[in-house]
Amino acid sequence: MQVFLQTLIGGIGFGAVYALVAMGFSIVYRTMGLVNFAHGNVVMIGAYAASTFYMSAHLPFAVAMVVAIVVTGVVGLVIERMLRRLEGRDFDLMLIGTIGFGTVLEALAVLIWGATGHAVPSPVGSAPLDVFGIRIRTYSLVVIAIAAVATVLLALFLQRTKLGAAMQAVAMNPHAATAVGVHVGRSNAMAFAIGAGLAALAGGLVGPLLYVSPVMGGSLGIKGFAAAIFGGFGSIPGAIVGGMAFGILDSFAAGAFQGYSELVVFLVFAVAVMIRPTGIFGERTVNRA
Amino acid sequence: MKRLTPVALVLLAVAAWLLPYGLDRYAIHVVDVAVIFALLGIGLGLVMGVAGQINLAQVAFFGIGAYACAILTTRAGLGFWVAAALAVLAAVVVGLVVSVPALRVQSHYLGIVTLGLALAFINWITNAALAGKSEGISDLPVPPMFGVDLSSEYLFYYVELVVFAIALAFALFVVRTPLGRRMRAMRDDSLAAGALGAEIPLLRITAFVLSGLYGGVAGVLYAGLIRYVAPETFSVANMFLLLAMVIIGGRQSIVGCVVGALVLSLLREVLVDFSVYAQLGYGSVVVLMVVFAPTGLAGVPRLVRSWLRRRTGRDEGRRAALGPFAPYEPAPVRGGGVMLEVRGVGMSFKGLRALDDVTLSVPAGQIRGVVGPNGSGKTTLFNIISGFYVPTSGRVLLEGRGIGGTAPYRLSQLGVARTFQNLRLFGDLTVRENVLVALDRTRTRWIWRYVLLPWGVVRHDRDLRRHADEILGRYGLGDYADAQPKSLPYGIQRRIEIARAMAMSPRLLLLDEPAAGLNDEEVRQLAAMVRSIRDSGVTVVIIEHHMGLVMSLCDQVTVLSGGRVIADGPPAEVAVVPEVVEAYLGEAGYLNAGTQDAQEVTR
Amino acid sequence: MSSISWRRSLAVPAIAASLATLAACAAPGESNESGANATGPIKIANINAQSGQLSPLGKWESKGVKLAVDEANKAGGVNGRQIQLDLFDDQGDPTIGTNLARKIASEGYIAMFGTAESAVTLAMAPILKDAKIPNITSGQSPKLADLKSPFLFLNAPTSVAYDETLAKYLVESKGFKKYALISNNGSYGAGEHDAFLASLKTRGITPVADEVVTPDQKDFSAALTGIRQKDPEVLFIGAEEVESGLIAKQARELGLKAVLAGGAPMGTEPYISTAGEDNAEGSVVSSPYLSNDATDASRAFAAAYKAAYNEEAELHGAKAYDGARIVIEALKATGGEGGQKLADAIRATKHSGLLGDFAYDESGVGLHSTRIAVIKSGKLVAESAS
Repeated sequence: MQVFLQTLIGGIGFGAVYALVAMGFSIVYRTMGLVNFAHGNVVMIGAYAASTFYMSAHLPFAVAMVVAIVVTGVVGLVIERMLRRLEGRDFDLMLIGTIGFGTVLEALAVLIWGATGHAVPSPVGSAPLDVFGIRIRTYSLVVIAIAAVATVLLALFLQRTKLGAAMQAVAMNPHAATAVGVHVGRSNAMAFAIGAGLAALAGGLVGPLLYVSPVMGGSLGIKGFAAAIFGGFGSIPGAIVGGMAFGILDSFAAGAFQGYSELVVFLVFAVAVMIRPTGIFGERTVNRA
Repeated sequence: MKRLTPVALVLLAVAAWLLPYGLDRYAIHVVDVAVIFALLGIGLGLVMGVAGQINLAQVAFFGIGAYACAILTTRAGLGFWVAAALAVLAAVVVGLVVSVPALRVQSHYLGIVTLGLALAFINWITNAALAGKSEGISDLPVPPMFGVDLSSEYLFYYVELVVFAIALAFALFVVRTPLGRRMRAMRDDSLAAGALGAEIPLLRITAFVLSGLYGGVAGVLYAGLIRYVAPETFSVANMFLLLAMVIIGGRQSIVGCVVGALVLSLLREVLVDFSVYAQLGYGSVVVLMVVFAPTGLAGVPRLVRSWLRRRTGRDEGRRAALGPFAPYEPAPVRGGGVMLEVRGVGMSFKGLRALDDVTLSVPAGQIRGVVGPNGSGKTTLFNIISGFYVPTSGRVLLEGRGIGGTAPYRLSQLGVARTFQNLRLFGDLTVRENVLVALDRTRTRWIWRYVLLPWGVVRHDRDLRRHADEILGRYGLGDYADAQPKSLPYGIQRRIEIARAMAMSPRLLLLDEPAAGLNDEEVRQLAAMVRSIRDSGVTVVIIEHHMGLVMSLCDQVTVLSGGRVIADGPPAEVAVVPEVVEAYLGEAGYLNAGTQDAQEVTR
Repeated sequence: MSSISWRRSLAVPAIAASLATLAACAAPGESNESGANATGPIKIANINAQSGQLSPLGKWESKGVKLAVDEANKAGGVNGRQIQLDLFDDQGDPTIGTNLARKIASEGYIAMFGTAESAVTLAMAPILKDAKIPNITSGQSPKLADLKSPFLFLNAPTSVAYDETLAKYLVESKGFKKYALISNNGSYGAGEHDAFLASLKTRGITPVADEVVTPDQKDFSAALTGIRQKDPEVLFIGAEEVESGLIAKQARELGLKAVLAGGAPMGTEPYISTAGEDNAEGSVVSSPYLSNDATDASRAFAAAYKAAYNEEAELHGAKAYDGARIVIEALKATGGEGGQKLADAIRATKHSGLLGDFAYDESGVGLHSTRIAVIKSGKLVAESAS
């Protein structure tokens, strides 16, 4: 029982990170129908930016995060600008184009920060909580809290602000949105910037949990993307649930299957996608029939 | 793709044969590895470029081939070539398994699932004692070859060269004959391909099996060349490199994939000391390629040519012209009695009722019009008849045989052909190829001939081409046979779609707004065409907004409104039914605006 | 799509080139191995991953090698000849490794340093053996020694020695009885796992827990909680630097009190910084190179390293430095000649290096023991006992 609960807690801790990554995938996808395979690498850039400003520039962690979000937001805008010509055209090309971008970002990170990477000290000093023998990392609580706040803010933004409403409109029907005067290009750029900002949030938060290095984006990206699909691609609640589910699946598979955990996780994922391709909450996207 | 001249082919072969004479041991080894990547590139080109199936597990097929070969030779003590044959078989079987998700999901979903399966494979080989865990399997035997020492990279090159030549020839053969044409049609528009009789699931499986085959062959050659296998070789990074090769080379052209693979493998060696910059370079080139030259290196000549043409403002020397339509010989009606019967069909989407208790019956040899305001359910009805939707309730019968819920390709084989409101021609196929896809009435299982009876395939293809030219001639499209439909005027595209549907020799032809976007002259030609088609024994059902055409052409008209049949009878009678007048009056203004919009969008 | 034009344009020069070279040489494969002549610089290849997952290791190793070669060149080289050290990037990929092995063979390199990845070295070994190029590898998998290639030498002990020393210290000096193992299934982790388990077995100890993780894993809650329930005295970690650090951090966060123990990665800065200084405190490390302050030689090495790269020296740089020194010494003995002679000379070299006193046996292992240290306030402190 103790192992079960502790595994669950561990899974949720990382699930929150996957959820943030998945949300970045989804916000871009629902608005412009683009799967940004470079997202994992944007997460990595975010992690580097946040940790560099935190450690080298000695900014407070929260401030470093904000700076990192701005940095990746700009990266996101650049990617969007470059790939704009492809929007709504060839889906596979966009996918491959973003993979190319990911490769570029990884190489740039090696050139800027070196291949070695660095560890980031935890900004929260206090010891883990002990609840009936179950240990809960205080930093994980912070991560979950920030993820929750980010989700709420994002939901409010999409529902309460004019720009958010415009993005929703584009998500539902770009033609109709254009007809009623929504600037689709601006809305797409906004979506990309928000997606990249979420990546920085995820990357910045994961830094102290893990180790920041140029190759960290690969597996975070793949798992975050899988999580987004698990929950229902393009759906914000789907990203949260999918991220948590994937984190927990990951944790339990590691416990039960040891070295074979990855095999099990991806087989389960493949079967799940085949049974229900639209995920738990169903795909939310522009209809490209 | 045009034929290579024999001279160029011979020159190329001689050059390839003489190549080792100019290379040192290291260079020939690099070339050996590059050839293996070229084989992988062909496999990926077939599945992704030709069949349009995103496959990020190609590197796993490669791994299966290499690992199976390693395990069977070192663990089971089999001879190299026996092991090699079994290894290729294993890769093919794995290709078959990986194709299963493709039957359910496509594009990015398929991408992540295949990537996940590739990761699962890597995870397995790093864990399993059988596969030597993370340190891999070393000491593979040198492949024996009648006393020829294949541990020499030079001699191994010739083995590779022969295998590669056969593999390339087979791939080109597949692409240019019925199987490849169908796969390309499926890539461009799987719905339309299905409606033309392509068995989409089987084709997708075939595509993955082919990519497994090429991956397996590459893996076996790798095992024979390096004689050591370890997980790192089959990593995701190498998968992305392979992807870059295919994209840069041009995924839709097999030769392009080969060139991309060779160029990038060699470049990788040249830049091996600057790998970070090389990575930066690959990434940037992939992005630039995707944005500015999506057809890759293979498409560059054409891009340059069209750019030059635009610069010089000169069009092709001879102006192509649409010829007249040559009417069909009158023939007795194919089939008899009631051709199509729709009984009480209902259809709802997430609670939204699109069709409600629709009943109609079309006698053989009739031209039936289906009209109604926008959103009245006409196209939904067509989609049900042609098998795209399964009706929520009711039955559809073709000559008394229930066909509700039958897959489109099955219906096509039963003699149902259709056109689409918003034109679904295969954009990257030529006009002739569009017709050829429809003409080919063989089933997918017919493709066993590719392995056992290739000349039979050639003969079949030759017959098809002759027949296609006849059809193009009849529809006056001869001048456009080698053009791409996208580049042609709208009216001509409409005509191609009808020619394509008729190439299937259907009993029942469904035309969805064939007059949309046509001028008066073209509408007149269309009417003559449809009449001639009916006189040749085909039953026609036509959805149309052009009231003049419906009134003059149709024997009987069914009027839909709000998903229900509100009138059914000869045109003159229907036109005065009060409900019809009301439905149309209420919609009239909107209706006209709607059709104009549709034209603009599709143009 | 017309592919004729470019095909033709490709074919013509290719043929011209082939014919031209055909005139010059008779049969394919006739190689002209003229690299090892007696004048000009001595060419030595340094093959280490400079990109990809393993590039940190590769970079450290390269720095150590380069430092030794630069020092030798500054001191007049080998019998007056300079050493030309060329760096190649294997990207941690065995396929590229084999390409490079053939490249250095055909370009006249007479010795090779690297690689840091056992799998790559294993792939290259047969080619280097055929080409008679001695290879000083930084890998430490027991499989390397099993090859018994006369041209393969390790610049450090194998995992067996690391873990034998560690087990001896923990079991015999400290008297711990309850052990738990956590290791990854990568080549390093799996080697450590097998070696430590074997060393425990010979001492009649069966671990209370034996968990395997993947090199990419991030959350170890399940494995560590299972281990916590067994309440071991020692947790053996068999993983690379960063993952060892993550495991240590999460183990402490989960309230695991056991002594942490492991091989060389746990003596490095990335381990300590990833785990956090508090969590790394008291970790027992088995390593041939404990600290830059251990001896005069290591102090001198560390100072030179710092001067050259403005970085603190560490184990990988040190062992690569030792390996390079041995080859340079052997080259002086052969007068700059390579091949079998150089391999024999390396085997005959007795070198007192930073890691210990090297004396190679026929399996290419020169060191058979390591030293034990404990991390105290973020620094490795040698344990005198044992």
